Amino acid sequence: MPRLMAACATMLVLALVAVACGDDEQSSQTAPATTAEAANNTSDSSDTADASDGGTDGSADGDADDGEAAATDDQPSSDPDPESPPMEPVRIGILFSNSGPAGIFGPPVANIAQFIEEDLNARGGLNGRPVEVYMADDATDPEIGRQAMEQLIDSDNVHVVLGTHSSATRAAVKPLAEAANVLYIYTALYEGGECSSVMFNTGEVPSQQLAPTIPWMMRETGGTRWFLVGNDYVWPRRSFELAREYIEAAGGEVVGEEYVPLGTQDFSTIAQQIANSDADLLFPALVGGDAIAFETQAVDFGIGQSAIPRLANIYEENVLGAMGPAVTAGMRVTLGYFKELDNDLNKAFVERYYDRFGADAAPHATFSSHIYDAALLYAAAVAASGSTDTSVVAAALEGLDGLSLTTPSGLIAITDSRHLSQPIYVMEVQPDGSQLIVETFESVIPDETCDPS
Amino acid sequence: MDALTLEVLNGVSLFAVLAIVAAGLGVTFGLMGVINLAHGEFLMVGAYVAWVAHDAGVSHWLALPLAAVTLFVIGSVVEIALIRRIYRQPELTILATFGLSIVLRQLAELVFSKDFRNVPNPVPGATAAFGVLFPTYRYLLIVIATLFVAVMLTAFTRSRFGLVVRAVVANRDLAESSGIRTSAINIAAFGTGAAAAGVAGALVAPLGAVEPQMGLAYLPGAFLVVIVGGFSRLRGVIVGAVAVAALQTAVIHFYDAVLAQIASLLLAVLVLQTSRSSRSRRSSWIASMRGQRPQAGILP
Repeated sequence: MPRLMAACATMLVLALVAVACGDDEQSSQTAPATTAEAANNTSDSSDTADASDGGTDGSADGDADDGEAAATDDQPSSDPDPESPPMEPVRIGILFSNSGPAGIFGPPVANIAQFIEEDLNARGGLNGRPVEVYMADDATDPEIGRQAMEQLIDSDNVHVVLGTHSSATRAAVKPLAEAANVLYIYTALYEGGECSSVMFNTGEVPSQQLAPTIPWMMRETGGTRWFLVGNDYVWPRRSFELAREYIEAAGGEVVGEEYVPLGTQDFSTIAQQIANSDADLLFPALVGGDAIAFETQAVDFGIGQSAIPRLANIYEENVLGAMGPAVTAGMRVTLGYFKELDNDLNKAFVERYYDRFGADAAPHATFSSHIYDAALLYAAAVAASGSTDTSVVAAALEGLDGLSLTTPSGLIAITDSRHLSQPIYVMEVQPDGSQLIVETFESVIPDETCDPS
Repeated sequence: MDALTLEVLNGVSLFAVLAIVAAGLGVTFGLMGVINLAHGEFLMVGAYVAWVAHDAGVSHWLALPLAAVTLFVIGSVVEIALIRRIYRQPELTILATFGLSIVLRQLAELVFSKDFRNVPNPVPGATAAFGVLFPTYRYLLIVIATLFVAVMLTAFTRSRFGLVVRAVVANRDLAESSGIRTSAINIAAFGTGAAAAGVAGALVAPLGAVEPQMGLAYLPGAFLVVIVGGFSRLRGVIVGAVAVAALQTAVIHFYDAVLAQIASLLLAVLVLQTSRSSRSRRSSWIASMRGQRPQAGILP
């Protein structure tokens, strides 16, 4: 009897788990309007696309420029006329982290996914074909990422996967995209070095974030002695490897380089090492809760931003918000997008984002912005090539080198290393916690090479 | 000299955090033998209590008893609904408490969202003592940890309540037949363990971010401390916290933080191996003295 009870109790828990998890997946899956249609293509799906098309006409003015960029390719003439029977939709898959440790970056990506579907349909789809967006959550876990990728490729039959997730998941799903010959655009900032015939990488790489900003930081502050502290995995290590080069090239020196495991809660010893190091500049490459723990503890150890200025390459909205302005005021962050960017396209986009999803919506930031930009690049390549065939679109994307696209994040272009030439911004946190763009480096080209053939 | 003083203070403050975090687990896992994988989530809920209190303008110090009460209630409910059905069944305990930890994380996410929350340090800044500056809150943590563990120890070893809890753990049927309401005692003990985790959560909240996943980062440390200290005796928590804190601080100082984690893990393995052999020798020796067969342990 007790065993039976125990079994029942366990089942109850598992059921609860299923409910909780299911709920989570659902909330991410309901984001795109057409997900319900799942694998049945053609007729009914295009109806849905039409509906969302009509609904967003007015608000899509932010994309006027992209429309022009795509239109300059003079390709749409080859499309059949819209009166013909419904065409097979173009299916865009988005692989992202909506749960697990990186789940905090999920909600804005899910929001932007709606914009992608609506905006591409509002401009008449891709070559007259309606656009459907499919979402899959990797739960910040490469194994689940594989399953999610299989779902996108095998069940949803997507033409392209836009991915914003960890490098571990990228390594796990890349072979699937290659085997199925599905175009895979990885849009998250990462350590660089990726090269594959089906892949493009549009996120910021360390060479872009650091090459211009490290010398800038030294000029701004007059500091020369850097301390580097990061989580112990490939991205901080690669960032620091490059940072060391740029620092020494600019006449500075690295006085300390320390790594801590992910999930570190106590930084007292590291803080002391920094205090004893005589450093006058700090480059933290810490993520999530580790960053918050480090910075809040650093203040009490007397090595806060006011004592040692920071240049950070990942501190984003959520993390800065949780640290609070008392800790963050004065910190500089280098990334390819901030929602505070002062251009008309971005202002309209950000306004539309918060009008649509509410003033307290999950902040639109570099991850969600890069997903949107990648969708625009894909759309431009499909329009230019008149095809959704992977090798044709990939060739078109490579051909876009030199042809630039203006998006809310600025002027972007695919480079011949299959990465992205993009503007890099330096943001400085103001005393009230607001963010101000203090420096812009236009069209920064990543120091990458790629020859997939 | 100053550097040494600071490292000693670092070690002591790390001990304080570890002892606070592990005290609750010392009761549920160490004393009661429940492999409680949801301990980190109890701590997380405690941290959220501190955040809600801060958000409502309540003093951080008032958040500590609030967290204790909240988690005592949650712990009691969990004991009644789940744990009491699976005492001494480690496989089921692992499954059930692992499931519980996921449920609690998802609930926290539903209620508070995934956003990082910050509980401001109630006593910001540093204090000058022993010729060095050291964060005031960490000094306080050291004091609180010492008091906290002392109170827990007294409650479980010197009071009648502690005696009764240990009686129930040692032999439930015998305890029941000598007039002890074992089910009530189990609720109280498990609830106390959860409450301790809640207080720990509220105490560590100002040191970092409050978020649904935060418990995962604290759980391994808590288990390490309880294992190194030797389960079954609550004062093992002190021994374990001292050992792990000293080892970690030294290894971080001379090598790095990644190696420090590996070192504490090795220490736990070492302690398990040596204690297993010595304990089995001792218990069989006691058994032979009393002419009894050794009783099945609480733990596998």
